Amino acid sequence: MMTPLDVMWIGLGGGLGSLLRWRIGAIVGEHYHGDFPLGTFLINVTGAFVIAYLAILFGVDWRDRFGSALNAGVLTGVLGGYTTFSSMQLDAAKLADAGKGWLATIYLLVSTSAGLAAAVFGAWLAVLQD
Amino acid sequence: MANLIILIFVGGAFGAMCREFIMLMVPPMADGFPLDVFAANMVACFLLGLSTSFHQRVKIHHHVHTMIGTGIMGGMSTFSSFVYGTSTVMKTPGEFAVALAYIVASLFAGFLLMIAGLKLAKKTVG
Repeated sequence: MMTPLDVMWIGLGGGLGSLLRWRIGAIVGEHYHGDFPLGTFLINVTGAFVIAYLAILFGVDWRDRFGSALNAGVLTGVLGGYTTFSSMQLDAAKLADAGKGWLATIYLLVSTSAGLAAAVFGAWLAVLQD
Repeated sequence: MANLIILIFVGGAFGAMCREFIMLMVPPMADGFPLDVFAANMVACFLLGLSTSFHQRVKIHHHVHTMIGTGIMGGMSTFSSFVYGTSTVMKTPGEFAVALAYIVASLFAGFLLMIAGLKLAKKTVG
């Protein structure tokens, strides 16, 4: 059962995670000007690594999204707010609209496979430390 | 700068809470398909498409678009739960095909809903 406190943690974490995503996206945008949406890519892959690492390290089942400050605030809130699926699709739609449909396809596939690899790596690292 | 920080923080907080409420309303499917995460991501894709299109047509102020796009929809959608969930489903015996279907469905439907949002906002009058 979700409590008002869980909702507060998710909101607080989601706000902070979104700010972090915005700042990192801006910093990457200052240094990189290519076609590949590098900012969103790096944000999503690092977020996938951290969520897997923390979830395994603290023994949180991936379906337990609330109940403590760690899973509601950090995993569901900060990491859910930090990573984004919708901006990834917007990047892809913009590329496709600019006639770069192949790059859009590569971007979606590379993001998903790199994100998966990062999650598996994060989980593996956490198991090693147990 | 201070305005943007407030808009993105409040938007991200609201978006993350909306994600959780969507996920509470949509049950995860019995065969392991994470329908709840899927639903939150799909809603966010469609609404981000709408907001982006309205912003391009200068129907909404760019600060409002920042609050909606970077804040609310960024907070509502999640990539970390998408791939971490997939990696967990993949490891479950007999559910590898479900994980693959989840990836393909998320990427395809998310892309189509984004395009639908972008196109729909272009067609509205006023």
